[in-house]
Amino acid sequence: MPLLDKETTEQVKRELADLAGPVRLVMFSQTFECDYCAETRQLVEEVAELSDQLTAEIYNFVTDKEKAEELGVDKIPAIAVIGAEDYGVRFYGIPSGYEFTSLLYAIRTVAAGKTELSEETLKTLAGVTEPVHMQVFVTPTCPYCPMAVVLAHQMAIASPMVRADMVEAMEFPHLAIKYQVMGVPRTVINETVHLEGAAPEPMVLEKLQEALAGEQI
Amino acid sequence: MPMKFQFTITPTVGGETAEGAAEEEVPVYDLVIIGGGAAGLTAAIYAGRARLKTLVLAGPLPGGQPANTDIVENFPGFPEGISGSELTQRFRSQAERFGAQVVLDAVTEVDFSARPFTIRTYGATYRAQAVIIATGAVPRRLGVPGEAEFFGRGVSACATCDGFFYQDKKVVVVGGGDSAIAEGLFLTRFAREVIVVHRRDRLRAAPLHQERAFANPKMHFVWDSVVEEILGEQTVTGVRVRNVKTGETSVIEADGVFVYVGMEPKTEIFAGQVELDEAGYIVTDKHQRTSTPGVFAAGDVQDPDYRQVVIAAGSGAVAAIEAERFLAEETRPTQTQPPV
Ligand SMILES: Cc1cc2nc3c(=O)[nH]c(=O)nc-3n(C[C@H](O)[C@H](O)[C@H](O)COP(=O)(O)OP(=O)(O)OC[C@H]3O[C@@H](n4cnc5c(N)ncnc54)[C@H](O)[C@@H]3O)c2cc1C
Repeated sequence: MPLLDKETTEQVKRELADLAGPVRLVMFSQTFECDYCAETRQLVEEVAELSDQLTAEIYNFVTDKEKAEELGVDKIPAIAVIGAEDYGVRFYGIPSGYEFTSLLYAIRTVAAGKTELSEETLKTLAGVTEPVHMQVFVTPTCPYCPMAVVLAHQMAIASPMVRADMVEAMEFPHLAIKYQVMGVPRTVINETVHLEGAAPEPMVLEKLQEALAGEQI
Repeated sequence: MPMKFQFTITPTVGGETAEGAAEEEVPVYDLVIIGGGAAGLTAAIYAGRARLKTLVLAGPLPGGQPANTDIVENFPGFPEGISGSELTQRFRSQAERFGAQVVLDAVTEVDFSARPFTIRTYGATYRAQAVIIATGAVPRRLGVPGEAEFFGRGVSACATCDGFFYQDKKVVVVGGGDSAIAEGLFLTRFAREVIVVHRRDRLRAAPLHQERAFANPKMHFVWDSVVEEILGEQTVTGVRVRNVKTGETSVIEADGVFVYVGMEPKTEIFAGQVELDEAGYIVTDKHQRTSTPGVFAAGDVQDPDYRQVVIAAGSGAVAAIEAERFLAEETRPTQTQPPV
């Protein structure tokens, strides 16, 4: 049985109607000890069917270890959304519920290779020379979460130094505990700095700079 | 964990600035609807069918408050109830089907002193012959020490978002109205104990909610009490409450605090543009007209009394019908084209 119903399928087709370029949905899965790997794989395959510009590539997390390492994928289910280049846009856990919106947005933005970020943000990001890792913890039933995810993904697209993950907290409870996630969205930047709620762009940028400054000390 | 997957598509951040909005010669819409909740989207359905060139600026929470709730049981047409996210998704699909354009932009400033009216967002300026304000309401904060500090670290206003993190934990729900009790009941699916702290000696929630709450072995009640402080270290550890009758204070240990102490209308940006009442609600007449001709308001933003999805939707429909009439009255004397 398909995961996407007919109405949603039509809507997705419209959302992905004029992608600016080809996008690969590179998915990592395995057949055991992974709650939603089967569904995530099915979702990726169904979505890929809905645009000529999309292809699905499925890898096994265990047997294709090298590929996983190459893309920095360390847990599953994982989706890397890759366009003309790999901007570092990742989804860990199934992007269902409100996060489906984040997936569609990531596809569109990666296809275009350019973001809607403000001039100031782009200027600041251009000056970033150290690696930045943004992890946005979400639940599928959180209507505010896509805003935080979309913002982090855009920063990843805008800067070669930034990579950004959506992390579905319910599927990775050990990470939720490790990062003390008690509310979503919660954005963790370089393990050191965290941000609660769907914050506006300038505030996220400030936190990103804070994370970088902290490391120089 | 058995799970029914839903796939929700909402407009995304900044991604969709309405066509032409960033250019100098901005198109003038017949109608701009500010707010993408039940009121705004219902208005958009009616405006679209009236063939008005309509733009919905949906703001930070597309779908509005129901997006925050697990299930809506009192919207007619859904005898089994419907998930808040699905209901709002359906509102939007229906609005778009009739030609309304829905974008996520949040309005930062309006100028209703001259027509066409000017509506500004972070990235764009829009112009409209008529406006419907439907920015709804946002949860009121308690305004006590610890609340802001522990927001996201034990303090929440969204049980559907954060309930999962309280498995087998003890949580406090502050409030005694429908939202407090409905969301408290939702939290009993995760938490081992839900303590409702309410400032009166009985609930304000609907009798059906009360019956369910009193029948639920995980729900407990602390009456006549207000929260004075939220306590914690890294995360929340409890709340200090004061009994309003005896004046006694005590500490309730808890891992989380969910705040449902009512709503506040979202009207700051409209101050000085339309008349507001003392509590900040937009003043409207029974035709949903505001003090400024051509500007209408619908839903929670002008409704301190009922605050229901069905009523927000109803007033949204009225506002759109009245906006259409307003525009038609104006164009009638100069109308040269035969009706189609
Ligand atoms: C937890 C909870 C449970 C509830 N359960 C029920 C229920 O079971 N049944 C029921 O009938 N009612 C319920 N309600 C009440 C109901 O949700 C509201 O009455 C209804 O949503 C009001 O609709 P609205 O369109 O007026 O405003 P809202 O739903 O508040 O929507 C406001 C809209 O305006 C947008 N907005 C805000 N600011 C701006 C801006 N500056 N620019 C552009 N857009 C902006 C927001 O993004 C949002 O889209 C519940 C409320 C809560 C909080």
